[in-house]
Amino acid sequence: MKKDSPQDLREALEKINRSIEQLNRKLDLLLEEPRTNPNPESGAEKAHFDGFDVVTLLSLPDHLRKTAMVLCRLREASAEDVSKETKRARAVESDYLNQLVTQGYLRKRRSGHKVFFHIEG
Amino acid sequence: MGKAIAVHSFKGGTGKTLISVNLAATYAKNGKNVCLLDYDFRAPSLQVVFKSNPVCWLNDFLDGQCSLSDTLIEARPKLSVPGVFYVGLANPSSTATRQVLTKDRKWEMRALQHLLSAKAGLYNDLKIDYLIIDTSPGVAFSSLNAIVASDLVLLVSTLDESDIDGTQRMIQDTYSSLERKTEVIMNRVLIELLTSEAEKENLSRKAGEALGVLPLELIPCYCDVQRASRTSILALDKPEHSLTRLVERISERIATELGSPMG
Repeated sequence: MKKDSPQDLREALEKINRSIEQLNRKLDLLLEEPRTNPNPESGAEKAHFDGFDVVTLLSLPDHLRKTAMVLCRLREASAEDVSKETKRARAVESDYLNQLVTQGYLRKRRSGHKVFFHIEG
Repeated sequence: MGKAIAVHSFKGGTGKTLISVNLAATYAKNGKNVCLLDYDFRAPSLQVVFKSNPVCWLNDFLDGQCSLSDTLIEARPKLSVPGVFYVGLANPSSTATRQVLTKDRKWEMRALQHLLSAKAGLYNDLKIDYLIIDTSPGVAFSSLNAIVASDLVLLVSTLDESDIDGTQRMIQDTYSSLERKTEVIMNRVLIELLTSEAEKENLSRKAGEALGVLPLELIPCYCDVQRASRTSILALDKPEHSLTRLVERISERIATELGSPMG
């Protein structure tokens, strides 16, 4: 059986990396769309930004508070930025960040393929 | 990157302000750039130490009427320290302290945002190494905001049972929830309880068991410090005083814990 050369292995890893990035982007889109209603007249509640104070922060469930505290420190961050701080998976942080947006504690903006979350009004 | 330290306590009268001022002075004395903020809006006291009439108070900054740098006065010219030493004062007028009681949660939310946003300016523009926030005791919005904005909470407690009980609950329920590094100082310890190293270690261990955190230092109750004028900064005026040496040790331990060991 032919052994893969280091070059072959490197190319394979790069291909896997690109696939993961594509999957992450698709997952981002899937996680975002159901949570915000682009059509307010449909009757479903539109995401409403309230921001949060420290008492609200303390009342959050532990897993969301951890994410919110990172945003307090970084001010604006992507799911990947937050996951580096919390050591949780990027997709998990993306879910938590979007939950915080739905609950009105965070805002988000898109820049190219990336989504950034922030707490400033 | 600068680091923020919130100096907090469960009860008043534990010596927070004395510790905050001397900790800030110690860092400035050692060439670090420091910003000290009076976040005790219910009972401001730093204006007594630094005797200044700022253009803007911290209250104005939190109201969104000015930037944080507009509130800062430079204490260094009077103090002759190598590091930059800025101070931000809370408005001590009765009107201002009463107004604190009228603030709603939306205001508190904006106040938190202002403080979090201002930190970057302090670190990047003013090159501040340490932001020290002297807080109001107990569970006050301004104190909790300071804790959220900090990298480390320095809790000042006494050996009074009610103080220990409240401090332990704050550590367990508040600081842990906010995932803040916490260090504890036991202050105003009767000197009779510290006659030997063995007694000191035993007392420290007992306090640690009660609080769930081993104290960083046990600071004796110094009568001369109690009697001294508030305008005197012990770390600068009496460098050989035992309290000065203890604060030096505290500053070194905190600096190491925050990843920026001294000298």
